[in-house]
This record gives sequence, structure tokens and C-alpha cells, in this order.
Amino acid sequence: MSVLSPEQISERFRAFSPGSRLGYAVLLALVVISFGYGFFFQVISMNSETQVSGSYFFLYNLVVFLGFGALWLLLHKSYKARSASPARVFWTMLLLGLLFISAAIPLTSFGRDAELIDVFDAVDEFDYNTGAPLVVTTIFKSTFLSLFALIFTLYMIFRIKDLVLFKRTKTAQRNWYLMMAAMVVASLTFFMKSPREDPNILQVIALIPPLGLMVVNSLRASWIVYLNFKEKLISISLSTLLLIFLLTSVDAGPLPNPSPFLQDLFVYIQFYNYGLNIFVMLGIGFGVLYCTASLLLLLFHLPTTGDFQRKEHERAVMHSLTELINQASDPERLYAQIAASPVEAGSAQASWLAVADPQSGSLTPQIVATNKVTPGRVSRLVDTVSLFSDVSASGAYIYLGEAAADHRLSVRPGDGFGSMLAVPLIAREETLGILFVTKDVTHGFEQDDIDAIQVYAAQAAIAMDNARLFEEQLEKERLASELDIAREVQRKLLPQHVPVVDGLTIAASNVSAERVGGDYYDFLALDDERLCLVIGDVSGKGASAAFYMAEMQGIFQSVSRLAPNPSEFLRHANAALAHSLEKNVFISAIYGMLNLKTEEFTMGRAGHCPVAMIDLAGNARYLRPAGLGLGLDRGQLFEKTLQEERISLNPGDVFVLYTDGVVESRDVEGEEYGYDRLLESLKQHRHEDAEGIHDAILGDLDGFLGIESYDDDMTLVVLKWNGINLASAQSNSVKAKKSAAQIEQKID
Amino acid sequence: MSNFSVGFRSLQSVNVLDLKGELDAHTASELEAAIKKCQDDSIYQIVVNGANLNYISSAGLGVFMAYIEDLRSKGGDIKIAALQPKVFNVFDLLGFPMLFDIVDTEEEAIEKFDAQQTAE
Repeated sequence: MSVLSPEQISERFRAFSPGSRLGYAVLLALVVISFGYGFFFQVISMNSETQVSGSYFFLYNLVVFLGFGALWLLLHKSYKARSASPARVFWTMLLLGLLFISAAIPLTSFGRDAELIDVFDAVDEFDYNTGAPLVVTTIFKSTFLSLFALIFTLYMIFRIKDLVLFKRTKTAQRNWYLMMAAMVVASLTFFMKSPREDPNILQVIALIPPLGLMVVNSLRASWIVYLNFKEKLISISLSTLLLIFLLTSVDAGPLPNPSPFLQDLFVYIQFYNYGLNIFVMLGIGFGVLYCTASLLLLLFHLPTTGDFQRKEHERAVMHSLTELINQASDPERLYAQIAASPVEAGSAQASWLAVADPQSGSLTPQIVATNKVTPGRVSRLVDTVSLFSDVSASGAYIYLGEAAADHRLSVRPGDGFGSMLAVPLIAREETLGILFVTKDVTHGFEQDDIDAIQVYAAQAAIAMDNARLFEEQLEKERLASELDIAREVQRKLLPQHVPVVDGLTIAASNVSAERVGGDYYDFLALDDERLCLVIGDVSGKGASAAFYMAEMQGIFQSVSRLAPNPSEFLRHANAALAHSLEKNVFISAIYGMLNLKTEEFTMGRAGHCPVAMIDLAGNARYLRPAGLGLGLDRGQLFEKTLQEERISLNPGDVFVLYTDGVVESRDVEGEEYGYDRLLESLKQHRHEDAEGIHDAILGDLDGFLGIESYDDDMTLVVLKWNGINLASAQSNSVKAKKSAAQIEQKID
Repeated sequence: MSNFSVGFRSLQSVNVLDLKGELDAHTASELEAAIKKCQDDSIYQIVVNGANLNYISSAGLGVFMAYIEDLRSKGGDIKIAALQPKVFNVFDLLGFPMLFDIVDTEEEAIEKFDAQQTAE
């Protein structure tokens, strides 16, 4: 026994997949064979004197049922489920119904002897005992009527399914398929039934489930909610017509009045196949039920149309809004989406969006997106500029029911601009753009349409506004990332480690209030004997300060090697900076020189905070020689006022250099840390090494502030002189090692 | 949110600017605007009264530096009066007293202007 591989199986099934020619051909052949067989069987039974034997009759029923199934599949395959409008569904059903009866009327009325018509059944055409047809025309009639009736019924069921399963839920889908199954089961209970017999109790019971489910399904009409007033009226009239048609033209079994057109239709079908007759009756009955229910629901919903419309539009707008938000990253796509949505939602036939471009400054509106109309056509036919200014000025929409009559439009009837609506997109009291929507009919927009488009425009405005904010944010982030790079560069300008010098401990740190700062400190070993250091503070904050700080670094690294003393250095620095500093920018600095050989500390102060110093005994003071800030005076005054301070070093001497961020930091009450607290803290911790003192001062400052953020750049450098160890005096040299000096960054 | 304000007072040919609050990088532009306005009104003699100035940052000091040359070239000046000790210390550290007349009272500042006028 060969087992088919999955590929082979799917290959076989693909032959029957929708759209495949082979599938169609096979099904069509089945239908033809089945109806052909049925036809010949009828001919044979017509010519036989007696009742056809049971097994033949069974075979006949089996074949015709298979034929019906094949026809069902064929129609199902060829039927394209579309979310068509309800009006269209009713309309097409009506059309097919008319086709059906126009084909069926000649068949039913052909060869009828009006004299012999029995009101109850057409006994004249079927044998009273066997139920066999009496003449060949009868066979034709019953075969083709059955075929047409089945096609019509199936088609109607498919159409109604689109409506019932509109916005489908699991339950709705289950109920639908249950109903179809129950209809088939009920039909099958009449499988071998002779048309001459009455239904037995079992068969009557089998009819109950399909009828119940038909009622349940006919109440599924959620599509009604989505119709506007006009569409509802159309649906009402069409469903009424269809209902009238079904009740009058198609003689639906249980009804008292037989159809005036299709005499004894169901008799013919019943004699062809009792089961089919039941199925067709149920199908048409369902059509009647559904039309009735729809009609009643439509009438019932008519007064609340506005509310539902608003609800629905809110929902639709929310949906569009999520669409819009997805486009927020790209203005072009956002514009296209804004222009497309009214057309997609069926609120308009064409639309376009005009935006007053803020970059151009002239505020001339530009058409940025169109839908179902070309920009060229718009600019030819519509004076967008004057409409834009009118709408912007009033802040309200303009509705032209007869667009051709308005002087701002040069349209003629037939241009497709029957009516036009221009709605402003307003966000934060600014008209960002105007959405134009048009229909080819005059007076094409009802008040509820206008309301809906206004709601949509408001949302679109928010989306556009967000897109702009998003752009700005991107720009900000670009800047921020550039500043991050600047900070990295700046960090490299600051010493990566403090120098290691015999007899001296050094600790230093720098914190910027913003990403980049204007504080600077540095060390430079000139030779084995001399260590230079500088601390500086550029006025102002941020990027400009950072540039001058970088310049200061360049000056320090180069001029230090040439200047014999602090005064000389500061003079050179002032002269160099005079060329580049803005008028309102100056730099305060302290330049110090430590001579290990002479054990002296020499310093000059250019407007900077005084150096705090303390000796082993605890005598603390500030060193404040006179001196102007760098860049304040570009002439003689700077040199005249500059003084130097020279200190002979004793073991235990501590020098603290800092920027104003330290002493001017204020706690929540606004009190400054101040010079006294700094000196007090220094006194308390003077016995520790430089790093200990440095950390203690910062700790004391943090404790005083009670917060972890600073308003200003802050730099703190501590030097402690321990004295030269004579044994290593010969070899003392200035080296560098990794230090704990950290350049932190204040996170805002 | 700005906790800084500039008040104008006009006394003959002298404009008095009353500074109040905190002058820093964020509020410096207000003082700039005030001095610009004096220039536009062709008044180049400015007295800055700092009695109510509680704090000044280096960016605030920069404003004085930005305009002083211009004003002096037009025969005017900025004289700074009545600074609180803490604020004066900031001016003093940088050596501003070498560059500006910084006096104890507004009257003194106006007298200095008058003395200059008569000298000319």
C-alpha cells in the first residue's frame, strides 16, 4: 500500500483549490453528470409501469445529492466574498432573483393546461401513484427548475453570509455553520422520501433546529450600525423590494398565496428531489427572515443613526489615528496618510492636504499630499491660497455645497468637484494645514459627515504636531549627542591622572553642571624640580565656555614651558586670550609653580577664588594676591595690578585650589557653602593625605547641600606637601600614575 | 520662573537700573536688554543699583564687560552702587573695582557722573 507524501497530497488538493481550472472542470463535470443521470432516471421511471425499486431509487438520490454538493462547491469557489455595501448585497440578490424568475416563468407556464390545474398539486404532470413524471417536458421542467432554484438559493445564502458575518465573532461564525449544517441535515432526512408522502414526526423535528438557527442568524445585522442615514434609507427600500419579491414571486412553501408567477415551483422541485425541495424552501425562508429582520432593525436604528455614526467615527478616527501615529516618524508619509484616510473611509472621493510651511517663513500653503486627484489638477482648479487664508482667519471649516458656484474654484460641472469641504488642522491654536475633501455630487456632505471629518482633522493636527515635536526632539538628540562628543573631548583635555611627585600628594576632581563645562585644571612637570599647575574658570556655561577652556589648555601646555614665573605666564595668557575672547567673556585663573629644590610655592591669581592654605599647626588662611581676570583688560592695567605670592613650604602644608562652584553652592534655603566652611573643613581634615582631604571637603559640601546636583561647574584640587625624604632627594622625579581623579558628569 | 528683574528709573541724564534677585547665565539677557534700551534711548550714563541683587554669576558680570567699552566711547559709563557684601566680593575677586566705579550709594554714583560732566 503506497502512502502519499505530504507534497503529493497537497499537490492533489491544489488541483481542487479555488481558482484552479482542474477543480472547476471536475466539479462542473460532476454537476453535469448528476443532472444528466437524474434526467435519464426520470425518463426511465416515466416509461416504467411500476414504482422504481428501492436500490435504484437510492442510487438516484445519492447521485443527485452529490450533484447538489458539487454545485455548491462550484458556486462557493467562484463566489468572491467581498465586504460589499449592504445596499449592493440586496441589490444583487434582487437582480439574481429577477433573473431566476425570468428563467423559471417560461418553464413553469410551458405546457400547462389551464383547465386541468389543480390548486393543490400538479397531478396532471406526475403519476398519482408512483410520482413519476408523465411527459418529457415535465422532466425538463423539474430538472431545470431544481437547478435554477438551487443556484438562486445558494447565491442568496452566500450573499447573506457576507452580511451576517460582517465584523464576525467566533459565536456568529459558529451559529452560521451550525445553521448550514442543520439545513443540510434536515434536507437529508427527506433523502428517500416519496413526494406523495407526508413528512413523518422525525422529519418535522429535524426542521426545528434549522428554523431556530435561522432566527438567531437573521438577528445578526451589525452592518446596520455603520450606515449613514442615506445608506440606511437605500437599504430599507432595497430590502423591502427583495422581501416583496421573495414573498410574491417565489412561492415559499408555507405561505398561503402561491406565487402568481411561478406556479407550483416547489411541486416540481419536490418531485425531482424531496430533500432539495426542503433545502430550497429553508434557504428562501431564511432570505425572507433575514430581509424582515434587517428591515425592522433598519427602521429601529434609523433615529439613532447620528449617535451610532458618531460612535463609529470615533472608532474609525481612533483607528486612523493609530495609523497616523505609525507614520509620525516621516512627515511625507504622514501627509499621505492624512490625505488618504477620508477617501479610504469612504467619506470623500478625493482629498488633498495643504500645509503652510513654517520653514519658508512666507507661509504660502503648499499642497503636500493628494489622493485620487493630481496636485496639478488641484492647483489648476482651486485657489488654495485664498481658501487657506480664509479658513485660517476664521479657524472654522468652509463647506461649499455647490463648488462650481464659488469664485475660489474654477470648476465646471463634470470636473468631479461637485461639493468641497475645507477643514483646518489646528494644534495649539496654530493652523498647521488644511484638509480638502471633495465629492463629485453637489451637496455631497451631510452634517454628520462634516462633523466626522472635523474630528478626524483634529486628530490629524495632533499627529502632525507630534511629528514636528518628534523632529525637534530628534534635533535635540543630535545636539545632545554632539555635546556628548564634546564632553569626551573635554575630558581628554583634563589630566587623566595626577602627577606623582616625591614629597607631595595631589588629588583633583571636576564636575560639570552641564554636559560640557568651563572649568579647567592641569599639571605640568617642567623638569625634575618644577611642577606647574593651573586652575581656571571661564565665565558663563556650556559649549562656548568649553571652547575657551580648550584654548586655555593650549595656552597652559605651551606657555608654561616658556614662562619663568606665574606673573609671566598670566601676562602671556592674557595677551593671547585678548584676541579670541568675546567682550563679555573672561577667565579667572590661578597659576602656581612648585619648586621642589627650593621648597617654594609661587602663585599668581588672575581674578580667581583665593587659594585656601593650612599648615600643620592649623593656621589657615586664604592667599589672595591682586590680579584681574584674564580678558577683562587688554592693556597695561592687567600687568600693573598683577602680584605674585611666594610661600616657603613646610611639611604638612596643604593648598586647596577650587572654582566658585565650591564656595557658591547653595543649600535649599539658598545659603552658600562659603569660604568659612571650606576653611573649617580643611582644619578638621588637615592631617589626612591630599586624597583624604579632597574627599572630606566634597563630603562636607554634599552634606551641607543635601542634594547630589550642582548648579555650576565645580573643580577641586588639593596639594599636600610632606617634605622631601633626603634619601631619595637625588632621585626625586615627577612621574605619572593612575589616580582616583575622576571627571564626573552631572546628570540633569 | 525668573527670579530676576530690572527696574528703570530716569534721573535727568542718568538712568538707574535697579537690579533685584539673581543675575546669572539665564537672566543675563534681561540686563542686556535693559542696557540696550538705555543705548537706544541715547542715555549712556547708567547707574546700576545692586541693593536688592542677591547673587551674581560670571555670566552676569560678563554683561557689564560687553557694553562698557561702547558706553565709554560715547562718553557714558556704568557705575555700580550699593552692592551687598557677598556680591561685592565676587566683583572684587575678579578685579572689577579696577575697571568700574563701584561705590556705596546710588547718590555717590550720580555725584560722580555730575563731577565728570562739570570736569568736561
